[in-house]
Amino acid sequence: MATGKEEIPLLSVEDLKVCFETKHGQVTAVENISFQVKKRETIGIVGESGSGKSVTALATMRLIPPPGRIEQGKILFDSPSLGRVDITRLSREEMRMLRGGEIAMIFQDPMTSLNPVFTCGNQVMEALLLHNPELSFSQARKRTLEMFDKVKLPHPENIFRAYPHEISGGQKQRVMIAMALSCNPSLLIADEPTTALDVTVQHRILELFQELRDQIDTSILFVSHDLGVIGEVADHLLVMYNGKIVEQGATWDIFSSPQHPYTKGLLACRPRLDIKLKVLPVISDFMDTDANGNVTDRQENKFKSVGQALLLNFQSKDEIIARQESLLAQEPLIKVRNLQVHFPLKKNWLGKVTCVQKAVDGVSFEIYPGETLGLVGASGCGKTTLGRAILNLVEHVSGEVYYKHRNILKMPKRELRELRREIQIIFQDPYSSLNPRMTIGEAIMEPMRFHNLHESDKKRKEVAIDLLETVNLSSVHFNRFPHEFSGGQRQRVSIARTLALQPRFIICDESVSALDVSVQAQVLNLLNQLKDKFKLTYIFISHDLSVVKFISDRILVMKEGKLVECGFAEDIYEHPKNDYTRKLIQSIPKGTLEDVRRAMLRRKMRK
Amino acid sequence: MLKYILWRFFSGSLVILGVIVIVFFIFHVLPGNPVDSLLGRDKSEETRQRIMHEYRFDRPVYEQLVLYLNDLSPVSVHWHVEKNRKKFDYIELMPIGDDKMLVAKLPYLGYSISRGRRVIDILLEDIEGTLWLASAAMLFASVVGIGMGMVGALNQGSRLDKMILTVSVLGISTPSFITAILVQLLFAYYWADWTGLELQGSLVIKTEYGREYHFKNLILPALTLGMRPMSIIMQLMRSSLIEVMSQDYIRTAHAKGVPKHLIILKHALKNALNPVITAVTGWLASLMAGAFFVEFIFKYRGLGFDTMQAVSDKDFPIVMGSTIVVASFFVLVNIVVDVLYAYLDPRIKLR
Repeated sequence: MATGKEEIPLLSVEDLKVCFETKHGQVTAVENISFQVKKRETIGIVGESGSGKSVTALATMRLIPPPGRIEQGKILFDSPSLGRVDITRLSREEMRMLRGGEIAMIFQDPMTSLNPVFTCGNQVMEALLLHNPELSFSQARKRTLEMFDKVKLPHPENIFRAYPHEISGGQKQRVMIAMALSCNPSLLIADEPTTALDVTVQHRILELFQELRDQIDTSILFVSHDLGVIGEVADHLLVMYNGKIVEQGATWDIFSSPQHPYTKGLLACRPRLDIKLKVLPVISDFMDTDANGNVTDRQENKFKSVGQALLLNFQSKDEIIARQESLLAQEPLIKVRNLQVHFPLKKNWLGKVTCVQKAVDGVSFEIYPGETLGLVGASGCGKTTLGRAILNLVEHVSGEVYYKHRNILKMPKRELRELRREIQIIFQDPYSSLNPRMTIGEAIMEPMRFHNLHESDKKRKEVAIDLLETVNLSSVHFNRFPHEFSGGQRQRVSIARTLALQPRFIICDESVSALDVSVQAQVLNLLNQLKDKFKLTYIFISHDLSVVKFISDRILVMKEGKLVECGFAEDIYEHPKNDYTRKLIQSIPKGTLEDVRRAMLRRKMRK
Repeated sequence: MLKYILWRFFSGSLVILGVIVIVFFIFHVLPGNPVDSLLGRDKSEETRQRIMHEYRFDRPVYEQLVLYLNDLSPVSVHWHVEKNRKKFDYIELMPIGDDKMLVAKLPYLGYSISRGRRVIDILLEDIEGTLWLASAAMLFASVVGIGMGMVGALNQGSRLDKMILTVSVLGISTPSFITAILVQLLFAYYWADWTGLELQGSLVIKTEYGREYHFKNLILPALTLGMRPMSIIMQLMRSSLIEVMSQDYIRTAHAKGVPKHLIILKHALKNALNPVITAVTGWLASLMAGAFFVEFIFKYRGLGFDTMQAVSDKDFPIVMGSTIVVASFFVLVNIVVDVLYAYLDPRIKLR
């Protein structure tokens, strides 16, 4: 890189400011954004939701949805056809030429980013034909098939003819990548390209990115919320917070010696695979925000550095083993025996089921009081169905689930209702699981009323406020509506509502998956505190192995409806017995210094 | 696909069979003597007996039903006599026994005494006018509705959009008899000199030289009939296109550098049309019902006009016949719409 000669950057963003016009006046999305992308370089933008990272990426394409607009600043692009141009000043027609031709983009959700009514081949060919009018139909087709081959799609001919809904999520993202790269763009913008995918699929897509960046002369602007992902692909990092760049530098430098308190917090609050922590560090351990929303270093620092934050929290081997032994010495709280959920797919004309989907296929395990049982697997492996089947919430269940020696699946309706008070579920999406027309207080009091807990509404209100305080909210939130809360706060409200029924056992179904890393750390810590305080038992369902590793005592690994491995978290991570488990663990972007160094080395070797 | 269409035709014919049975029982079993109404002026006992025999009222109900179905079936068995040959106008397929014959024919819907013709002939003649009217109304409704809906969606919130919304709300909420009168008054009375349209009239007029088509008589009824579907399509198209335009794949198309007009016409329209097509099935029902009414007001000869007249003449064979024809028409349109739907959205698998 350092050849001494000053190279003209491919893209240089200078003092960019993007505003959104709303009813309550102008809202600034990003401000003072300046950075450069050099040729053949990968720049990573990392930040949490609302940090403005996607807006920055979209501004580069001038694709900011109205009412947003670029308020000031320059986006200088070294275009092969137009020369050095300011993207903010280009005409609509010139912009259209650049888009797809010289700057291409890959979006977050491949499920919705491809047009459902055209075949995959058709959609890639469209981009090719638009920017290369001289190509004939059959040439374009040939190029498309070559691209499909390049992004390692199996059977390019079949994919060419397939509609988006007929192929898997990972394949769709490959089609998107093929589409973006089909016209040999100088700059590729990837906006969270792996976020919506399973870990193993994400791993393969990231590998593809790394291979492609060596084969082609494309610079990449890679946007992600996941430091682990970005550490593996980016040469340079921008850390964004609240619409501003708080830190930028070489990936190695940022990972090894983060300067800004936010970066430190972000690095520390990721659940780790290598060591077991008691409490996850959170961002507020590192920084404060003053009244104007400016970030300041926390004065009386709890932790001096990321390393210290981890060291002070470290759980020793002996502690872990002692806990494991005391757990297993107890009588199990729940015993699951040969649980099956077979959804009928096809019926013959007599209504007899001829083909079933085995969502859960003969699963047996125990849960001990006071433990957290992690349940992991790729999407569609049946983990959510399993969680609901334990509560008898799905149809077509067979097998036995004993809760305190009584079979839940054969219980009369009335007893079952009584039991559902003791066993609760916290759902994934904190946005849709709260009724938008009900105040937070009402939402928490409603289940208590339904189950006739506490004698009067006055008492219930007291309990509800108490619960809000337990989840680190306060009584002023009682009369507010869900839309006034952030995602993390809503999830805490959901937790408070769950606790209102004084449950013994809680199923957390992807309860932190929709949250930002920093918020996720807070909620995970809260769940752990509550467990000790109320003597709870959890099943923690998640696709994220590092989260499960942090919170669980034991882990069940599921694949295609079956349990493939079951054991203590430490044992599974250190000595996975099953190939599938091993693959899962290897696929996680760990974001440790070791990994970043290895990724950098790999890149240097190829050059 | 073919299997699905065949299956739909099969289940559709079951629906038609059901309609036939219900119609049969309504007219034959309900109280009231159909013979009296069939008699006309000649009320002699001899004629009464002849009609009783002719219409098989002297036989048990189940036999009547079986014979009625046999009459309606395009392939049926009849006594091979000259009288039947004339009555059914059939093509001989193969003899069964000595004096019966398996035949192919148009469904026999009965004989209208008041008009002195076979019902099927009357209806076949009528249906042309109604089909013209329904197609013209549908064409008007789809073209204007989709067009205006798109204009509204693409200029969301503008004055033009608000105007389009107002028009569609008016179009949906105005009852068709008021629309009909307004249309008649404006175009065929106040502005008659300028438009050259008449208050009432048929598309097909029989003269001694043959059939004449008066297409200008189609305009006002079609306008009246198409007004409500047009408004519904307009609103559906508008909201559906607004939703589609905010989808991720539209952003992808922008990022690919697809020109704006192609994004709208190619990427968005095909997706946005789906809910519109679904709704088309829904309002086709009211379109047919409306056609009866509109034909009557405009004195436009068609299925509806003749059925209304038959009702006032108590000419039951015609009423029965047109009910069955309309039901069959419905079933057919529904099949066509389902197939079209699957073509527009590949995610829908016809099974």
